[in-house]
Amino acid sequence: MVPTNTNAETDAALQRLGRNFTRLLVLIAIILVPLEFIAHRHGEIALEDIPLFPAIYGFLAFVFIVYAGRALRLLIMRREEYYDE
Amino acid sequence: MNSAGIAVQFSALPPGVVMILAAIAVPWIPHMARQAWMLAAIALSAWGLTTGAGEHFVWTALGYEFVLYRADALTVPFALIFHIAAALNVFYSAHDRKWTEHMPSLAYAGAAIAAVHAGDLVSLFFWWEATAVTSVFLILSAGTSRAQKAAMRYLLVQVASGVLLLAGAAVLAAEGAGIAFEAFDFNGPGAIGVWLVFLAFGIKAAFPFLNGWLQDAYPEATATGTVALSAFTTKLAIYALARGFPGTDMLIWIGAAMTALPVFFAVIENDLRRVLAFSLNNQLGFMVVAVGIGTPLAINGAVAHAFVHIIYKALLFMSMGAVLYRVGTVKASALGGLYRHMPFTMVCCIIGAMSISAFPLFSGFVAKSLTMSALGYSGIVWAYLVLLFASAGVLEHSGIKIPYFAFFAHGTAYDKKLFADGEAPVGMRIAMGIAALLCIGIGVFPAPLYSILPHAIDYSPYDASHVVGQMQLLVFAMLAFIGLIRFGLYPPEIPSTVLNSDWFYRRLAPRIGRPILAAIASVWTSFVTVLRGYRDALWDLVERVMHAPITGPTVPGRAVMVQTILLTVILAVGYLVAG
Repeated sequence: MVPTNTNAETDAALQRLGRNFTRLLVLIAIILVPLEFIAHRHGEIALEDIPLFPAIYGFLAFVFIVYAGRALRLLIMRREEYYDE
Repeated sequence: MNSAGIAVQFSALPPGVVMILAAIAVPWIPHMARQAWMLAAIALSAWGLTTGAGEHFVWTALGYEFVLYRADALTVPFALIFHIAAALNVFYSAHDRKWTEHMPSLAYAGAAIAAVHAGDLVSLFFWWEATAVTSVFLILSAGTSRAQKAAMRYLLVQVASGVLLLAGAAVLAAEGAGIAFEAFDFNGPGAIGVWLVFLAFGIKAAFPFLNGWLQDAYPEATATGTVALSAFTTKLAIYALARGFPGTDMLIWIGAAMTALPVFFAVIENDLRRVLAFSLNNQLGFMVVAVGIGTPLAINGAVAHAFVHIIYKALLFMSMGAVLYRVGTVKASALGGLYRHMPFTMVCCIIGAMSISAFPLFSGFVAKSLTMSALGYSGIVWAYLVLLFASAGVLEHSGIKIPYFAFFAHGTAYDKKLFADGEAPVGMRIAMGIAALLCIGIGVFPAPLYSILPHAIDYSPYDASHVVGQMQLLVFAMLAFIGLIRFGLYPPEIPSTVLNSDWFYRRLAPRIGRPILAAIASVWTSFVTVLRGYRDALWDLVERVMHAPITGPTVPGRAVMVQTILLTVILAVGYLVAG
């Protein structure tokens, strides 16, 4: 038994939730920038000492993973019944 | 026998064995009493750990020393967490009235615990195979034909790993290196044996290209079975690697590949329990890298990571198991909006997600920091950057994808009857609640965890610089996710099969193998046909010779001639043999 159709009421509530969560996250991100300098953040390796290195690396890594995954679909994605045939 | 005698014998009984013995009685005990029985068996087994460090049960036979119970600083944390995981499983599966899954589940945990205490390769082999034979029933219990096939493939791979281990032990014994399970030397006597053992461990630890069984079989097990499976087999392999191959450089390469590769598969996988199986593989990578570095700090990192990972990975599998139990599917493309129906499960899932993503104040952070620091001190920059990249990957598939697509994403209209009894059953909620509390408890107070690690350390994960760096990595990666979702750039979930290394034996090998087998079969058939022709001709000849004198007129001369020919042949054969 697999549900398929969507629930409009929940959808609206989810959008509100999403907006609030985004605001919270942006707020934390903004706070983290000055903390970089207040906490004298330093890394385990020299490269990490570049200002905001974890933020930049995390952001780019995430986007790369999603896009690489998307490209990988062309190569390794098959029908759901692939092995059943 | 007096009570002191019994106590002495119990203290020498390898922990876990009592659980296997208790499992035999499980089918005859009624439903809830059974859960109490299993908890008592786990507690009794855990009490056996109080015997302390040392070799408590050594059996000398055939000129070999079989060490059945060896305890030291490395076995303790694994033994403890295996007992905790086994107990969590008892709560989590309390709603299940049948005994068919409880019995193998308890025996499986017992076998894994006994394996940790094996001090020689033959005992290790015995328990190694016991974990395979018991755990396969957790996959079979799902009852689907997909699960049956996956279970058989799983069993073949697991048993093959055991056979390699035994072969390795045999080579080492023959070359005079002995069968003791200690750190191996690739350049010492019996190097081939060392490689065989390494390969055996590599299969169970799901090294790249040896990992297909994990993502193939785990998601096919029952809602409760997958939780049990996630805890033991692979972490037993991590224990074995930490014991046998600490500081093996090759493991840094292998582990780094393990952290990075599954990340891409997890992004596009639709089955959320399979996503967690890829995630499990990625987590094992961190532990394998740590074992490869091999410094005291790194070994502590590997052990601490295994310890906390068992809890939060079980928690994530439990939350998806609860969804599977209630809704009947864990396909991301079919779920969404469950937060309203299963709020407790949702909160537990998010705690598991934040732990695995290594948010400060959660258990993943205090464990992963050890490995990252050890890697930083060792100066292997490339591996450090790969693991940092993989950390963003963990956040993607386990931190965000799992909770987002199951509980949020969009409002899916579910049948009201699905949630008529409330959300997950009580037992599931108790297990998830305990696991979630442990995730936060260890994250906030890491000292007790650090105190049971193999090496004494003075390490604090909570310095301002470290916390800010980790928060930056996670928060900005999450902002990337929100941006991609907002602008419609995040790829949609598609019902599909994602090919993995099991493709080599599920598709490629049959495709190449079948024509070769067919060719061999046809050559064989024609060979047999030709032979059959010769045989028939020979029989005809014999018939003619034997029957002609009887049916026709009796000719003494012909009878003499036949006897003469036969005697000559016998004589010739006799000379040939004697000569």
